[in-house]
Amino acid sequence: MIDIEKIEHLAALELKEGEKEKIQKDIEEIIHYFEILKEVDTNGIEPYIYMKGAHLFLRKDQVKKGLDREDLKKNRILSQNKFYKVKRIMGE
Amino acid sequence: MDITELSISQLVKNIKSGEISVKEVMKSYIENINKKESKIKAFIHLDIDNALKKAEELDRMREKNGVLFGVPFAVKDNINVLNTETTAGSKILKGYISPYDATAVEKVKKENAIIIGKTNMDEFAMGSSTENSAFFPTHNPVNVEYVPGGSSGGSAAAVKSKEVLAALGSDTGGSVREPASFCGIVGLKPTYGLVSRYGLIAFSSSLDQIGPLARNVEDAAVLLNVIAGFDSRDETSVNIEKKDYTALLGKEIKGKKIGIIKEITDFDLQQEIKSALNKTVDTLNKLQAEVIEVSIPHLKYALPVYYIIAPSEASANLARFDGVRYGLIREGNNLKETYQLTRTEGFGEEVKRRILIGTFALSSGYYDAYYLKASKVRRIIANEFENAFKKVDALLLPTTATTAFKIGEKKSPLEMYATDIFTIPVNLAGLPAISIPSGNDKKGLPIGMQLIGKWFKEEELLQIAYSIENGG
Amino acid sequence: MSEYKPTIGLEIHVQLATKTKIFCSCSTEFGDEPNTNVCPVCLGLPGALPVLNEKVVEYAVRLGSALNMTINKVSTFYRKNYFYPDLPKGYQITQYAIPIASEGFLEIKTKKGKRKIRIQRGHIEEDAGKSIHTGDITESQYSYIDFNRSGVPLMEIVTYPDIETAEEAYEFLVLLRKTVRYLGVSSGDMEKGALRCDVNVSVSKNDKIGTKVEIKNLNSFKSVRRAVEYEVKRQIDVLENGGSVVQETRHLNEKTGETVAMRTKEELNDYRYFPEPDLPPLILTDEFIEKIKKELPELPLQKEERFIKEYGIKEDYAHDIASSIELANYFEAVCRATKKPKEVANFLMTNIMKYLNKTGKQITEISFNEKKFAEFLSLIDNGTISKNIAKEVIDQSLETGKSPKEIVKERGLVQITDEDAIKEIVLEVLKENPKPVSQYLSGKTQTIGFLIGQVMKKTKGKANPQIVNKLLRNALMKMKK
Repeated sequence: MIDIEKIEHLAALELKEGEKEKIQKDIEEIIHYFEILKEVDTNGIEPYIYMKGAHLFLRKDQVKKGLDREDLKKNRILSQNKFYKVKRIMGE
Repeated sequence: MDITELSISQLVKNIKSGEISVKEVMKSYIENINKKESKIKAFIHLDIDNALKKAEELDRMREKNGVLFGVPFAVKDNINVLNTETTAGSKILKGYISPYDATAVEKVKKENAIIIGKTNMDEFAMGSSTENSAFFPTHNPVNVEYVPGGSSGGSAAAVKSKEVLAALGSDTGGSVREPASFCGIVGLKPTYGLVSRYGLIAFSSSLDQIGPLARNVEDAAVLLNVIAGFDSRDETSVNIEKKDYTALLGKEIKGKKIGIIKEITDFDLQQEIKSALNKTVDTLNKLQAEVIEVSIPHLKYALPVYYIIAPSEASANLARFDGVRYGLIREGNNLKETYQLTRTEGFGEEVKRRILIGTFALSSGYYDAYYLKASKVRRIIANEFENAFKKVDALLLPTTATTAFKIGEKKSPLEMYATDIFTIPVNLAGLPAISIPSGNDKKGLPIGMQLIGKWFKEEELLQIAYSIENGG
Repeated sequence: MSEYKPTIGLEIHVQLATKTKIFCSCSTEFGDEPNTNVCPVCLGLPGALPVLNEKVVEYAVRLGSALNMTINKVSTFYRKNYFYPDLPKGYQITQYAIPIASEGFLEIKTKKGKRKIRIQRGHIEEDAGKSIHTGDITESQYSYIDFNRSGVPLMEIVTYPDIETAEEAYEFLVLLRKTVRYLGVSSGDMEKGALRCDVNVSVSKNDKIGTKVEIKNLNSFKSVRRAVEYEVKRQIDVLENGGSVVQETRHLNEKTGETVAMRTKEELNDYRYFPEPDLPPLILTDEFIEKIKKELPELPLQKEERFIKEYGIKEDYAHDIASSIELANYFEAVCRATKKPKEVANFLMTNIMKYLNKTGKQITEISFNEKKFAEFLSLIDNGTISKNIAKEVIDQSLETGKSPKEIVKERGLVQITDEDAIKEIVLEVLKENPKPVSQYLSGKTQTIGFLIGQVMKKTKGKANPQIVNKLLRNALMKMKK
């Protein structure tokens, strides 16, 4: 049984009545299906995270011009023409 | 001459020689769009006026440069195009205007292709049918009652219906190859790191790769020449020497070793697909390639591995959609409510399902059993491919176990997930693979055959695919 | 009560002084117009990807090495997931499993002598943007967000809980700030947020470490000291009164000096760290690490000790001079030019420091350079000016920028060494002060000090004090006879 409320909270989602039961049921089914992986012996196996031999290259510390205000304003109205504005966290 | 029948190289040659104008090309394609788009619905965003303007611009150029000069082109809507709405098929990005070009788009533009629109897709590339688009489903041009596959279903359908000559898609677990297979075209998923992911809206960063959808292997190779290459804006981009991926096309494949994965028989294959596989083996024999059996014992675990890793990464990749800087916002009484309202309304059901699965798989107490375990099994699978490639030059298997299904036919998520069983292992191992058409089933629906190549050996993969395509 | 032992650990975020952000080429300039140093990467636009700044790596290796840490040849990046409006991607890219530097120490000087404070790890990460609030929640229900700071590079230094007093915590921070400034890897300005400190405090009567309380967002050295002092006392009080310390996060009320529990949100913190797939491992070569280690400058404590040994100056002078690299460089330059370290240290720590404090200037901004300093000391040496006058000369030279010689000439401050002239004044003073004179003659010889003072006063300090002393004694001797 997964704690759907906790997961929703972490994911900043709040499923609506109706979709909630269905999604929860699906997720439980899917997670149950993952159990099959328990058959695999992974002792001593390194997790695969990066391509073989992958490593970072480094960028020079040189300033480049970023986005203009006009670019930002195509997607949001900026408060006082300069700030992103969002509801405050409760109790802060 | 039917302009829309020409391959990329033929079309560009004809334009450059002055035989035809870009405007004529564009008009022919627009004619197809006008005829078909209302039924196919391949595009989320289509800008015909701009395409015509661009065509005129190109016609006025003295120097006609670029290997895609005047090519009518489409880009999957999860790839950023400057000053264009980029939604990734999601309501949460409806109206979002991108302030930059993805590297792959920059390269396509530099070769003077004309991007006429952004194609439909499963929301955030999560799906195998394009039914998960927040806007509308796309229809398979072969039979409009059927899905075109997904998630790059819009790109595949646009190419198949000749609304464009070629398109870009993205492939995280088969999203280029599966729709290519369902629509009867060619789809290539390059080696992880060959094509820059800069500007591709991330679904699963360790699996995503941009790839071309085209009518034939040669066109796919031409496109790969354009989009491949190191990019200093993507740390996972690999710095290898520049190659000409068309160089080996037409060279004989005599003596090449092609592996058939033994474990394929564990899965239920549609009868016609079995036959198509056998026919392809015959073709390879005819071409004097050596077909041998190899084993990927952990193949069947690829699906659960993928459905843990991809949602885990997605749960973080999709956290940026919070309503603060762009896209949908639904303001609540406080911040938490604003987040919840925005995200719950902005994301579709499948996306929410995967975000929740991924959040769960990474959460404290479950990380080791799910995310870490899956990553370890992923290593086992990648190692098995590596071993197989010590014996063979490429692997042959169907792209999918069945041909396209009807819109609305598949109900449960797990049923849908199983569609990608043969394409997913390739992404887990970061390998290159191509899907090429291999006849039709009884219903007339296309069958796709998949070839998997060695890491960064796309030229050889394309050579073999080309031989099969032309030697059958 | 004294048997309680406090256990204190610090987590310090050091902002690295690079020109551009950690993962993109936007400027890190402090104080620019809001949301002007932003790009798809640091604004978390869909499709953007991080690329690591080489200077961040260099600075982190430099700082890690200076803190005697092991530099890890392979280190990895993780995503720390949480929602916050100033965190544009919904996760922070940080190092988790293997940081760039681990296991080191910083040796601090305390009243009890030298103490090694062990350091657990140093990892690099990105800063978040800045939320601006006007007034409290009743005044404005909105946050205003500036993403200029989003992606500014930080190195987080985490100590072991080796610190036992507020004073030690303070000393550690002061030395760390000096160190980052010596290395040139950070401005160390706490008020600009270039150094931010969280403190973990617990108290215990035995070897078992008590319940840990975290005090967050301390924005000055003084706050750190006050917070620790208060918190230690508070925890002991709680325990003495039969209570138990609650594991929580508190913050310091700057007005009252008390720590206050942050309103506990029952929000569960589960950061779901996992490897950042956009960033493969950072791999450093031995040559790179060795080169940086070789180029490390002398560090504050080493310099302090060398100053004492090499120049023979007082310990507290050495400490103060070595506290700033600029001051130390100035001191050494002047010493090279004058070969008189003790005098240099004296004037530097009195007259020059007073001037700097008064004007708010930096040592690098004054015109009183090693040449003027040398000229000044030679005026004292050759007897042109007295030690008393010297103070006036150096002060004037600092104020006006004129050379010491010019000052002396302009103001007629040349020392009076003419014995006849001084003798005249001496006699005058003896005549005017019969009472001290008779006291002296009756054996209360310390009154000579007063009489010297009177002569100096009459000569406006210009008389050579040795001569004054000699002549006065001679005259008084005669009177005695």
